[in-house]
Amino acid sequence: MRKGLIQATDGFERIVHWSLALSCIALCITGLGMMYQSFNFIGDLMGGLKSLKYVHNFTGVFFGVALYFTIRMWWKEAGIFSMPEDLEWIKCAGGYLWHVDNPPEVGKYNPGQKMFFLAVAGFGVIMFLTGLVMWFPLSFPSLIVRLMFVLHALGFVVIFAFFFVHLYLGTIGSPGSLDAMLTGWVSRAWLKKQHPKWLKEMEEHGTLVVYGEEKTAAKSHGH
Amino acid sequence: MNNKHEVVKLIDTTLCTACRGCQVACKQWNEMPGLRTKQWGSYQNPPDLQWNTWTLIRFQEHVNEKKEFNWLFRKDGCMHCTDAACVKVCPSGALHHTEFGTVGLNSSRCIGCKECVSACPFEVPRYSRETDKIYKCDLCYSRLRSDESPACVKSCLTGALSIGSKEQMLKKAYARAKKVGGDANVYGDKFVGGTHVLYVLQEKASVYDSLPRNPSVPFSLFVWKDMLKPLALLAAGGVLAGSFLHYILHGPKLPDEPGPNEPGKDEKGGE
Repeated sequence: MRKGLIQATDGFERIVHWSLALSCIALCITGLGMMYQSFNFIGDLMGGLKSLKYVHNFTGVFFGVALYFTIRMWWKEAGIFSMPEDLEWIKCAGGYLWHVDNPPEVGKYNPGQKMFFLAVAGFGVIMFLTGLVMWFPLSFPSLIVRLMFVLHALGFVVIFAFFFVHLYLGTIGSPGSLDAMLTGWVSRAWLKKQHPKWLKEMEEHGTLVVYGEEKTAAKSHGH
Repeated sequence: MNNKHEVVKLIDTTLCTACRGCQVACKQWNEMPGLRTKQWGSYQNPPDLQWNTWTLIRFQEHVNEKKEFNWLFRKDGCMHCTDAACVKVCPSGALHHTEFGTVGLNSSRCIGCKECVSACPFEVPRYSRETDKIYKCDLCYSRLRSDESPACVKSCLTGALSIGSKEQMLKKAYARAKKVGGDANVYGDKFVGGTHVLYVLQEKASVYDSLPRNPSVPFSLFVWKDMLKPLALLAAGGVLAGSFLHYILHGPKLPDEPGPNEPGKDEKGGE
């Protein structure tokens, strides 16, 4: 770690994030193996498509637990839009798609991230519940089970597409962002560019954690 | 699929005496065990199709509008649809169309997901918890390949069961329905692309238990398999292409370089 870096996430956040992310990726891959016959070979890696089914089902349970912690942890920060500044941001797409001179300053999460969180949370819950019914289809009426398959496929369309947006903007589309979820420490320049309002808030509240500085020093810095 | 080989099995309910020879022959040929059942007030035994019972004579007491009593016998089992919902949902290809137009089942590929169970409009595939697989009639695929008739047809004493080419059987079915007259009708050729099992029913289809009047491939399968499935790949591919274009045209979002005239201590500390 370098002196002057700022802590963006704590260890718990990172563990929850990667529990959800890795189980989600495993579910997408195994799901693809069952959704498309041309991807059946993915099952060969696991000793057959039947084993793949079990990997998918039990990973789904893990995903459900990770999703619970994800929602509990982030819904206040990332699940609620703060108007009107979020609307302003959405109107200009945060300056991500075309040139905007001064895009509205964002806090810990920008509205795009909030939309991603809401999509994952909402469709994640749908995936978990529909998946449970699909696991035990004989215990439910056929009409219900048929609807569950449609919803599960719809959730996949949304989450799979959003996953690649997240992947791009979390890596090469926004250099420096990946560190926030890997080590948890980001540069001040990155924070100032990506989440200026959050940086100001932390400075004002004295909650800014700077590497190599005493926490109290950070506090006095804010005044 | 070669149309020359397309076969259809005809079940003429007006000739069936419910001897259940077909039921026994089916079990014998397919080496399926019999499970102990309880008397439940009907000759229909076992009470329903099971993983080990692929065909079954349904016994039904029926009183028509003229207060006439009738005992209806209907051999139930896989209808071998042309547009088979089970084949459409099967993730592994275990359920597939054969060269005879029938729906075959490659048991070794079945993963026991039970998707076919809720998709089938006739409620035919049955699940075995023991093997974690589903089972159903395959119209004696091994026998058809050896130019033999299915075990049920072979065992039928009254000629209620017969098998042959599609045209031949359709002709036979309509001729028979006409001859019987009354409410007699042909069931199977008007939906799901035409089934490879045809009935000559003595009564209207709506009279029979567990026989859907207008079976169809569930609409949900169309949304799922024909819309959402391609959409999933299209959407993901679109996002990937979009991200690439974004990167090369708009560029990534980078932290600002500290300007030469503003060597603020914040920036210094940051980078």
